[in-house]
Amino acid sequence: MSLDMNKVVLSVRDLSVSYQARRGRVRAVSRVSFDLHAGETLALIGESGCGKSTLNLALIRQLPKNASIDSGSIAYTYRDGRTINLLDFDKTAMRRYLWSECSMVFQGALNSLNPVLRVSDLVYETAAAHGIGRLEALTRALTLFEQVRLDAKRVFNSYPHEMSGGMRQRVLLALSLLLRPQIVIMDEPTTAVDILTQRSILDVLKQLRAELNFSVIFISHDLAVAAEIADTVATMYAGEIVEIGPVNDVFYRSRHAYTLSLLNAAPRLSAGAETLESIPGSPPDLIEPPPGCKFHERCAYVQPICRTTPPPMVAYDSGAGRAACHETARVLADARQKV
Amino acid sequence: MTALSASSPPAAQPVPTLRERLRRLRRSYLFKVVIQGLITILAVMTLTFFMIRQMPGNPFQVRIEDLMTRQGLTYEEAYRAAASIFNFDPDRPALLQFGDYIGDLLQGDLGMSITKTGTPVAELILRYLPWTLFSIGLSVLISFTLGTTLGLSIGYWRGSWFDNVVTTLASIISGIPDYIIALLIILIFGVQLEWFKIGQVRGGVDPTITPALSLEYIGSILQYAFMPMLIYTLSSIGTWILAMKSSTISTLGEDYIAVAQARGLPQRRILSAYVGRNAMLPLITRLAINVGFIVGGSVIIEEMFQYPGLGRNLYLAITGRDYTVMQGIFLVITVAVVASNILADLVIVWLDPRVRLDKGEEA
Repeated sequence: MSLDMNKVVLSVRDLSVSYQARRGRVRAVSRVSFDLHAGETLALIGESGCGKSTLNLALIRQLPKNASIDSGSIAYTYRDGRTINLLDFDKTAMRRYLWSECSMVFQGALNSLNPVLRVSDLVYETAAAHGIGRLEALTRALTLFEQVRLDAKRVFNSYPHEMSGGMRQRVLLALSLLLRPQIVIMDEPTTAVDILTQRSILDVLKQLRAELNFSVIFISHDLAVAAEIADTVATMYAGEIVEIGPVNDVFYRSRHAYTLSLLNAAPRLSAGAETLESIPGSPPDLIEPPPGCKFHERCAYVQPICRTTPPPMVAYDSGAGRAACHETARVLADARQKV
Repeated sequence: MTALSASSPPAAQPVPTLRERLRRLRRSYLFKVVIQGLITILAVMTLTFFMIRQMPGNPFQVRIEDLMTRQGLTYEEAYRAAASIFNFDPDRPALLQFGDYIGDLLQGDLGMSITKTGTPVAELILRYLPWTLFSIGLSVLISFTLGTTLGLSIGYWRGSWFDNVVTTLASIISGIPDYIIALLIILIFGVQLEWFKIGQVRGGVDPTITPALSLEYIGSILQYAFMPMLIYTLSSIGTWILAMKSSTISTLGEDYIAVAQARGLPQRRILSAYVGRNAMLPLITRLAINVGFIVGGSVIIEEMFQYPGLGRNLYLAITGRDYTVMQGIFLVITVAVVASNILADLVIVWLDPRVRLDKGEEA
């Protein structure tokens, strides 16, 4: 894979998002920072409710009405080198940005397509909304449908209900690449399909990524899928990125106690009859988060300092990765032992 | 649209035999619903035929009592007078009457009016139906279009002050019966504010104008139809607004709306092809049911405004116990409801590709 690590496509700094709930403000995403490079695949892992989906919706500014972006910046660099802050965009500029620069494959492909429109209508209206002609759209769509291994002509004239779940997911994948965006966000694109369809979608995705060289932000509960597809992995806990780094570092040399617990909780075929470890308790209340490290109530490595002082982000390997844990040394030793 | 024909040429099909064709016909959707519709019509016809004869009194007695009270005739005189006008024998068994009715109907004859001697029922219906079709049909169209547009907007921008105002008004107005609205309008705008003369809103057209395709005549028709139409529109628009609002809100929760927004589609396109079209589907059936109302007319409103429509005629027929006219009008209403339901099914198929008419018929 040709990773042009010099070019940063998306640079997120100190991004915080909160929801207004009856009891108070839910800090769903707090002070998240990361860089996404050209051609890079970043996997976001973490439990349900850790803020992954909120973060993604914030990246395309499609948050629900009761949510607001409280601070931070999202800097996007166009192909021509111009860099803008997405948060400065008005509605029209945002509409033009969406899909042509950053598209999204949602989870639940079954309901992602308008039941009363043909696939051809979806293609044409998407193209028209961004000033691309019908013939150009048709050519691109047919090529993409073939690339995702669909019967292009048949699918083009089909209604959503005439296709299987796997076909619809591939249509969405093809549609997300129609305008040749630099970034594709994928929110659990393989959860709603069976294991064989998942396999074929992942293969198609890898092949397309190699051919078209776009960046991917990939959300998944499935750690095996994340490990396979990602260059970089970020662990999210209680709205924060607690560890981010190259996939091998995060998975085999974890430096954050939460990442290690998460990996231990994942089933492995080779583990045989061993019982799965689970993480006791549940994610903290995000309206009144606990002091210190937000994970300390559930952590097996907890020390007195964890209860009072939030751990700082510490870079390792000259900036290849970062983790925010007071007990990095012990966690790392255990992670190494495990491999 | 760029046509992409299937790559394989259509295979030559063997010519179907007569039995094959009959089998296909029996399986076809249209054939099935037409048969069902005919059964429905027959059932309603039979029921109305016997039920209207269960009402106290018959046209003969109504007329005799009328003659006795109004002209001071004795019972015998009144009986003789009535018998000379009516060609109706109240003592003939109902079953035999039913036989006559069906026999005539099969020949396309709706019979003669009992009270308006010498007038065929069909002629009566044809004379009054256009007034009702025009006034109520146009009102339903206006209130459906306006109501669904408003419902779509307040559903889309729910929580706004506009939504709050419209929802409150729609809830209030949908709870008031049409005749109360009519009375309120007459009392407030006619009696109190004197915006119009009450006497001038009764009737269908100014009788001093000769019927012609002139501007004056058409203007007069519109002027007289205005008040009933306003009331029909007001009394039905609230329901459309509220139904469309709830349908819109449930449609907005669908994933494909979020995907459409993420695709950067213009708001206009999302509102029409995504929210509007999908939210409209359940309302089409309701519109079809309303067609019965269009044809039947609003009995009370037409009577209040002396509007020469089918509804007022139905009212007159009921008070005079004019069995044949009642049967005729009920038959027309039944046929209209059945036909519009079939039409609604066809429209739904056209609008929603997921619905197939021959569902479950093919393996």
